[in-house]
Amino acid sequence: MRIWLSLLAFVLCSVLVGVCAGHTWASPASVARALSGDSSLHSMLLLQWRFPRVVAAALVGALLGVAGTVFQGVFRNPLAEPYLLGSAGGAALGATIALLVPIGVPQAWLLPALAFLGAWGATLLVVGVSRAAGGLDIPTLLLSGVAVAAVLAALRSFLMLALSDETVSLQVVLSWVLGGMQTPSWNGVGLLLVVAVLAIFACFRLAPGLDKLGLGEQMAAAYGLRVTRFVVLAVLVGSAAVAASVTVGGLIGFVGLAAPHIARWSVGPMHRLVVPASAAIGSGVVTLADAIARSALPPAEIPLGLITALAGGPFFLLVLARSRRW
Amino acid sequence: MVTLAAEHISVVRAGRKLLDDVCVAFASPGATAIIGPNGAGKSTLLKTLAGLLAPTSGSVIVDGRTLDTIQAAHRAAMIGYMPQQFEPHWDIQLRDLVRISCERAVGSQGRRTPDDILAAHRIEALAEQRWSTLSGGERARALLSMVLAVDPPILLADEPAASLDPGYRLELLQKIAERGKAGICVTVMHDIDLAFRFFDQIVMLDAGRVVASGHARDVYERTVLDDAFGVNFVRSRKGELRLINPGFLRGEGPCRR
Repeated sequence: MRIWLSLLAFVLCSVLVGVCAGHTWASPASVARALSGDSSLHSMLLLQWRFPRVVAAALVGALLGVAGTVFQGVFRNPLAEPYLLGSAGGAALGATIALLVPIGVPQAWLLPALAFLGAWGATLLVVGVSRAAGGLDIPTLLLSGVAVAAVLAALRSFLMLALSDETVSLQVVLSWVLGGMQTPSWNGVGLLLVVAVLAIFACFRLAPGLDKLGLGEQMAAAYGLRVTRFVVLAVLVGSAAVAASVTVGGLIGFVGLAAPHIARWSVGPMHRLVVPASAAIGSGVVTLADAIARSALPPAEIPLGLITALAGGPFFLLVLARSRRW
Repeated sequence: MVTLAAEHISVVRAGRKLLDDVCVAFASPGATAIIGPNGAGKSTLLKTLAGLLAPTSGSVIVDGRTLDTIQAAHRAAMIGYMPQQFEPHWDIQLRDLVRISCERAVGSQGRRTPDDILAAHRIEALAEQRWSTLSGGERARALLSMVLAVDPPILLADEPAASLDPGYRLELLQKIAERGKAGICVTVMHDIDLAFRFFDQIVMLDAGRVVASGHARDVYERTVLDDAFGVNFVRSRKGELRLINPGFLRGEGPCRR
């Protein structure tokens, strides 16, 4: 129980820090004032710009946390991460198309739509290629993921070379790929909240199956799990969560890899506990990283993905070195 | 009483016929040992019976229904399958392993708590231990408690206790064979001595075919046993059908095929 309270406290503190941090620091008192319906300009700015972004960051982190748990559970590999089966390449390709190809649809709609389609579509493609190439077993899925990711990356590079006539647009693409939170409207946050809650709930429902799968495929089958069907379902659910996170946050490295590990160290390896714990850890970490991204070099913003990798990598290695193997 | 039978099962994998038209009905209640030389298809038959491997032709009949028409969840509650090797991917506490195992229970099946099950197998002291910290003997007990967590009427065990010390081995085999008193127990046995000691029914495979089956007492006497293993056994008369001592190798030994 204590561990859950501390996880909750971690998320709440991160959100509070996130709301206070920015290129101007807002005191907790002024945050409270803004929340209580104050109509000063400062409060309105906080309410319309900072709050929604912090909530979005928290949700994106939670999505990455659960997706990472699902992928590590399915592939039973500690190196598995949410972008394993092509989500990242697909999302980046979709975003590149949205940013560089003149289609005539407002970019505010096109970018998230294509990023989502790219992320999820890439995983569907990987599953399809894997099935055509021999089967839906884990090694074939992984190899198909590598092949599809390579093709998608090549396509993206080609588009970037062929379509950008000015360096500005290239920079836009690069900064998206490096990860950074969009500032959504409250309506956007509402939509994200619904999607995130659904995705997290779906991942939570996968937990008993992931626990069985952790006993080995043969034992899982003997325990009544239809392994192939479950693996495909889990991969698609996990990728949908990643796609939702990519749509709002771009490619944020490392969180989906590290959050499940930290979750396992705190609540043990049972997936029904790891899923919520990893959601909380991912949520807090991304919120904090986003706070740093916004406030470290005002008025510029550091790409969020750089911060998570830069700070997360060494921290993760440290924890890894000091803890036992899972 | 539950029934289990294999009807004309053939399994072909990568062009090799692993099982060739196997027909066996298992005694119910009863404890059956499947014996045979290496590569005879013992484990393949057991996996097919467990529903883990789809036969190329033929079918497994459980309670009058073909196995592939039974829902996976129901199958898991009815058939306990004890694999030859078990290594969980995450280093899970024993209590949690048993908890996962309990979740196979369907409908009216007695839902016991993990702690009840651990106590019934007298390993409650190990509840908090992670799998990696258990000894070989403890792992064998733990695995059996997991497989039997939902008290399945059918137990299929694949060479249990193969790598255990004698004390643990005898204890484990005794527990497994006891399952044949109230339900069906089918066990792949590598050690023929122990097979005849603990099981009252024997099914003997050779090159994917059933070459002998029936009461242990009868199979014991048959020369087909010597033929399949390529050994002249000396049948001991001490006690009952207790010991089979390998006499001497004949011909070029078991590889003569």
